[in-house]
Amino acid sequence: MADYSKKRFLVIDDQLRAREALRAIAQTVGAFAVEFGASYPDAIYRIRNNVPDVILCDYMLGDGRSGQQLLEELRRFNLLPDETIFMMVTGEQSYEQVVSAVELVPDDYIIKPFSPDKLLLRLDRIVEKKNFFAEFYREKRRQEYAEALLVLQAKLNSEAGRAYRFEILRLTAETQMAHGQAKAAEATYRGILENYNFPWARAGIARSLQKQSRLTEARQEIDKVVANTPHYFDAFDLKASICMEQGEPEEAQKVLDAVARKTPRNYVRKRLLAEAASLSGDTETARATLADVIANDSMPGAVSAADRLALARNHVTANDPISAEKLLLTLRDSEIQNMDLSEQASYVSLLAICMPEKGKSRFYGLRPAMQAGELTSTAQLDAMRAALALADHKLADQQCEHLMSSADTKKLFGTMRTLYARHGRETDFRDLQRQVALKRIQHEQTATAS
Amino acid sequence: MQHLLDTLASGIHDAKNQLFIAETLVAASEAKHQIDLGEARYAIETAAERLSRTLAAYRLMRHGAHLSIVPAIISDLCAEVALSQQKHLATAGITLKVDCQVLDEWPLDRDLMTDMLNNAVQNAGRFARQNVALSAFCEDGGVVFRVDDDGPGFEQLPPQMSTGLLVAERLAQLHIRHERPGHLRLSNDSALGGARFELWIP
Repeated sequence: MADYSKKRFLVIDDQLRAREALRAIAQTVGAFAVEFGASYPDAIYRIRNNVPDVILCDYMLGDGRSGQQLLEELRRFNLLPDETIFMMVTGEQSYEQVVSAVELVPDDYIIKPFSPDKLLLRLDRIVEKKNFFAEFYREKRRQEYAEALLVLQAKLNSEAGRAYRFEILRLTAETQMAHGQAKAAEATYRGILENYNFPWARAGIARSLQKQSRLTEARQEIDKVVANTPHYFDAFDLKASICMEQGEPEEAQKVLDAVARKTPRNYVRKRLLAEAASLSGDTETARATLADVIANDSMPGAVSAADRLALARNHVTANDPISAEKLLLTLRDSEIQNMDLSEQASYVSLLAICMPEKGKSRFYGLRPAMQAGELTSTAQLDAMRAALALADHKLADQQCEHLMSSADTKKLFGTMRTLYARHGRETDFRDLQRQVALKRIQHEQTATAS
Repeated sequence: MQHLLDTLASGIHDAKNQLFIAETLVAASEAKHQIDLGEARYAIETAAERLSRTLAAYRLMRHGAHLSIVPAIISDLCAEVALSQQKHLATAGITLKVDCQVLDEWPLDRDLMTDMLNNAVQNAGRFARQNVALSAFCEDGGVVFRVDDDGPGFEQLPPQMSTGLLVAERLAQLHIRHERPGHLRLSNDSALGGARFELWIP
C-alpha cells in the first residue's frame, strides 16, 4: 500500500456536499492535505499554481463542463505531469462508454458509491502503473523519443509488461507519432487492432495515414469510427480535419457543427469549426464562432494572437475592414514583437488590406522576409491576399505557387481561386495552376528517370 | 425509448450520489469512533449495485446493445470482487478464495464484468455451506471466470434462468472477438462439490 499522507490531493466537484464527501474519503485513505476545486476555472487555477499529486475529479462539473473536458484542457496546456494521478469520479455508468472510446483517458475512473478501501485499491494500482512507466515518462518529458521507444520496447518484452500490453502499445504509437514516424505508428495501431477493435486504435490509424498524406484511406478509417462510436467526439474532429485537407470544408463544417452543439464549451473544437466555416465561405459562422472563442475561452493564455488574426481575416473576407482594423489595433506592440515570422506576415498583410495607408509600409518592410522565409500556409495565403489587394502581382503569384505545391493545396484551393477571381485574375490563376502541374510532371519524370 | 432510458439513468445517478454521501458519512463515523460498520456500507453499495444492474440489464437485453470494452487487468478485477464480497461472506461463516492465473491485460467491459461476478459470488454465497471460490484462467484463446461453491448445486440442469443468469449470458455473448462470442456454462461440476458458474470471454 502506498503512503498517501504526504501526497497533496485536489478534490474537484461543483457540489459542496460531494466535495466534502470526497475529502472525507480521501482522508480515510490517509490523505492529509486535501484542497478543493469548486469549479472548472478554480480547479485550473489551483493546478496551475501548484500541481497536486492526486486529483479526484467529478465527471459532472456543472455549467456545461465535464471532468473529461478539464482533463483534455490540462493535457492541452501541458499542466498535468504524467506522474500526477487523475481519477475521474462518476455516478454515471455511461462514463465507461467515453473511456472505451477516447484516446485521452484519466488514469482510472471510479463509480459512486465506493468505499475508502476500493479507492485505496484503485489508487495503489495507479501508483504501481506509474512506477512501471516512470522511466518512459522521464524520456518523454525530455523529448528523447528514440530513448522512450527503447524503454517501451523493453517493457513490452518483460513479464511485468504483460499486464499493460495495450497501454505499452498505445504509448508506443503515440511516441512514434510525436517522433515523426507515422508509418511505424500505423503498424503499431494495426497490431493493436489485430487483438481487438478499439475505436481509439482505428482513429490512431486514421491519424497516422493523414500524417502520411494518405487521405482517402484515412477518411475510410475515420468514417468507420464515427459511424460506430457516436460519443467519440475527438473522432469527429479528426474526420473534419481530414475532410478539410481533402478540400471538402462543407462536410467538415457539417460534422463539426453537430458535435460543437453537444460540447458548447469546447473551444478547441470551435476553432476548428471556424476554420472549416471560413474555408467553405461561411464567413458569418466563422466570425461568430471566433468571437465566441475570444470572449469565452477562459483558460489563461488560451486566446492567442492567432485567434485574433483569424477573426480579423474573416472580417476582411466579409468585407468589414473597420472591424478587422479595430481588432488588429487591440494587439499590443509586445504581442506583435513576440509573434513568429508567419504571424507577423499575417498581421502586416491584414493590416495592409484594411488600412493601406498605415499598413502598406509595414507590409513592404516585411516583404523580403516573406519572400525568403518559410511561412505557414495561412501566412502565405494572407500575404497572397494582401499582395493581390496591393496589385503586387509578383509576390501574390509567388505565394500562390508555393501554396499550390504544398500539402495544403486541396485545402486552400477554393479560397485561392476566389481571391484571384475577386481581383479579376482568373486567367492568371489558371496559368499558375498549369505551370505548377507542368513542373510537377517534369519533376516526377526526372525522378523516375534517375 | 432513449428518452425513457435517459430519464431512468438520470434518476439512478442522483440516487447513487446520495448513497455515496451516505456511505462516506458511515466511513467517516467508523474512522472517528473506531468502529466497524462494514455491513452498513455493504448494504449501501449493494443497493447502488442493484440500481445500476437493473439499468444495465435493461440496456443489455435490448436489441443493438453494445459494451464498453477497455483493456482490463484480470487480477485487479478479481481483487475488486474479493474486496466487495469477502468480508460480507465471512459474517455468514463463508470463506471466499480467489485464484487468478491470467497475467495479460484483456479487452472486456470491466464494470459490467465486475458487477456480474459480484452477483455470481453473492448467489454462490447464498447457497454455499462454507466455501466459495472465484478463479480466472486462460482456455481456448479466451479467459474463463469460474465461481464454485460447496452448496447443493443446481436443482436441475439446465437451471431455470433468473434475470441475473440471463444478463450474464447476454453479457458473455456480447463479448465478441475474431467473430467468436463468449458463453455461459452452468453445471454441478464444482471442485467444491456444489454449483459451478463459468463465463468464457474471447
